[in-house]
Amino acid sequence: MKKLSLKIFVSASMLVFAGCNDWLERKPQNIILEEQVWNDPKMITGLLANYYDRLPAHTSLTTGWAEFSAYDEAMWSNNDDGRNNIINYPTTRWTLWDYGLIRDINLALESIETHAVKLSDAQKAQFSAELRFLRAYVYFEHVKRMGGVPLITKQLIYDFSGDPSPLQNPRNKEEEVYDFIASELDAVKDQLGNGTSNTRATKFTALAVKSRAMLYAASIAKYNNQMASPISTPGGEVGIPASRAKDYYAKSLAASAEIINSGSFELYKANPDKGANFYDAITKKSANREVIWAQDFLVSKDKRHGFTYDNIARNVREDNLSSSSITPSLNLVEDYEYLDGTSGELKNRNAGNTDYVYYDKLQDIFANKDARLYGTIIYPGTSFRGTEVQIQAGVKVWDSAANAFKTVESNVLGSTYEDGGLLTGSSGPQRSQTEVSNTGFYLRKYVDQTAMSSTRGIRSDMWWVRFRLGEIYLNAAEAALELGQTADALKYTNTLRERAGFPANSLKTINLEKLQNERRVELAFEDHRVWDLMRWRTAHEVWNGNSANPDAMIYALYPYRVVRPGHATHGKYVFDKLVAPRFRAPRFFQIANYYSFIPQSAIDNNPKIVRNPFH
Amino acid sequence: MKSRIIQSIPALLLALVTGLSGCEKDNRTEPKSVLKGKVVFEGQPIGLRSNGVQLELWQHGYQLFTKIPVMVAQDGTFSASLFDGNYKLVRLRGNGPWVDNTDSIDVELRGSKEIDVPVNPFFIFKNDVYSKGEGKVSATFNVQQVTAGRTIERVNLYIGTTIIVDPGNNVGNAQEVAANITDLSKPITLTANIPANLASREYIYARIGVKTSGVGEMLFGMPQKIMLK
Repeated sequence: MKKLSLKIFVSASMLVFAGCNDWLERKPQNIILEEQVWNDPKMITGLLANYYDRLPAHTSLTTGWAEFSAYDEAMWSNNDDGRNNIINYPTTRWTLWDYGLIRDINLALESIETHAVKLSDAQKAQFSAELRFLRAYVYFEHVKRMGGVPLITKQLIYDFSGDPSPLQNPRNKEEEVYDFIASELDAVKDQLGNGTSNTRATKFTALAVKSRAMLYAASIAKYNNQMASPISTPGGEVGIPASRAKDYYAKSLAASAEIINSGSFELYKANPDKGANFYDAITKKSANREVIWAQDFLVSKDKRHGFTYDNIARNVREDNLSSSSITPSLNLVEDYEYLDGTSGELKNRNAGNTDYVYYDKLQDIFANKDARLYGTIIYPGTSFRGTEVQIQAGVKVWDSAANAFKTVESNVLGSTYEDGGLLTGSSGPQRSQTEVSNTGFYLRKYVDQTAMSSTRGIRSDMWWVRFRLGEIYLNAAEAALELGQTADALKYTNTLRERAGFPANSLKTINLEKLQNERRVELAFEDHRVWDLMRWRTAHEVWNGNSANPDAMIYALYPYRVVRPGHATHGKYVFDKLVAPRFRAPRFFQIANYYSFIPQSAIDNNPKIVRNPFH
Repeated sequence: MKSRIIQSIPALLLALVTGLSGCEKDNRTEPKSVLKGKVVFEGQPIGLRSNGVQLELWQHGYQLFTKIPVMVAQDGTFSASLFDGNYKLVRLRGNGPWVDNTDSIDVELRGSKEIDVPVNPFFIFKNDVYSKGEGKVSATFNVQQVTAGRTIERVNLYIGTTIIVDPGNNVGNAQEVAANITDLSKPITLTANIPANLASREYIYARIGVKTSGVGEMLFGMPQKIMLK
């Protein structure tokens, strides 16, 4: 008995003494404490990277990229026909209610204040500024879809009192959210630092976001109130008074002008070939001073995406599947003007519409067009990565008995006609097949030229440009025009047009319609089209669901080789314009789409949330 | 191998028992009462785009207050399977081709019920007559403005191969815009061509629609089956 108690005593004392040494007081290897995070700039940067990565987007190279084919820039030519057959846009289509991200940023802002003791005041201020910038951007993404949302700038913590009402905040007014974004960006812009980074927020990133956000607020204030019945709620959660428009336009213009006049950025003009230069302006990642804020990728760090795999032209694809998903529409191609300033309709029929216009080469019909067309879209007769993208729908064989052409097309891509010449190109277009263009065009912008980037094994690290100087020029032009400063509006627009191959001072007069077209062609496939039409309040008229309305339909251009031996037109090319064969339902944007549906769960949890109109 | 199967028998039995008892505990009876009805003007049902227009049913007195959306069919009818109870039926604003009316309609549902939902459209069709020609279909009709305050934007004639004919589902259409419609007291005639590949069909459906400016949805006549042979 005595022996046993001695043994217990010895082992107990061993435990006690062992407890005094480090072995039991090691720091956990798998838990990072708040104090550790907030005192280590590297870890804070890692956290910031997570927040940057979670920034919402409607269409980018990784988020919702397929939706580029759901409006009027393009249609879908890969498998399934969902985006070619949208009967009407659902009200939940653009819904965003990401208070998880907002809460995380609020928490970070509070933690940095409570826990950061080893950081210098300057470091603390810079990180806080960057977090507040991100929060302002997230609120902008919300307000442009939902209208006014509750502005939450502190963590909401439940006190277990049985009464959740202190956590239930009503929606702020739409203008209050825009004002919050403006004041936050003003407050942080001089503390942001980050040098000349174009992937992390700098002073100019903040100004760029302000330029766009204020322009949106201004055009809603102006154009919503010009509707027959303006969209609004009694509490102002939706709808901005018309009296605010001037103020917002002025703020947008001031922000744009500060960026343009800073000299920190310039339009990309390194490539003497204007068409290729426009492609480079968006896609070149080094020595590019046009890009203000991009989401970058890097194959060697496994941060990459399949955008090129899914969208490369059919006959230059390197994988055995996919390709050709987003195929630009003839509507967009025709919106690129001719360099002499005339409207961009392609001349496929003669003046009296009695016969075709015959072209020697496929690309001749596109001659003398805005160089941005080449930089954005692969059209017949052009190449990608040095290989011709072979676009030809079939042949037109002259039938002398009927005194008319007979159209011959093939189901086999790259097939040969009986005269030994090409029948249907190896990149189509083909009326019913998938994974080949249905419109006769392919996407060039954002499709990576790097070898093997269209394979599933390697993929692409093309970056996604969130803001670039080209847009800022157009924002400045629009705000200046709305403020009556026409000379400045002309100056900004003509500078941008000169880069696209137009002569100096190509526009002599300017109006909103011209600027709208300029935005459409300059910023195609950069997530602007649907938001622009929404803020101008023209979306319900442009996409009115009427199949007789050419704007609501997607058109295609089918090139044919003429087979008429012994005639002057033999071997030349003609073009047919047609509604894209796989396109089904006219685009239909309804009044209820201007503001998106607030998730029912948000309303269930917080009865103070007012529904959006018409929902 | 055999012993492993025997070992797992208790576990399998347990799974079986849980599965069977689950059928009793989890499932409730489905709603059996049916609310049916139609959207009417002066007692006549109104033609709409299939699945385009929504009515809302709301029920007070429960913790979660969520609408039950009821989509209206192309002939103006709707139906919903519900539990017995008192509902408020709301004509969603800015949705149908009629004047917004925020008054709700009380619906006391016990068993089955049929109701009419009255609405005030801006324009309606009168005296519509349909005829077929060689490879085409014509409709002659009057448009009558029954509510002031909005103007007409256009009228369309749609033809289709099924009874569901609207701007999204058609094989051909004809249009007249407001600028060419100067006098609403005169009849309007629209003629749509039948695509060549459908010319040999026995019948085709035709339907007329009117678009009011500033209202997203169109108001339609009833689909007409036109015998081609």
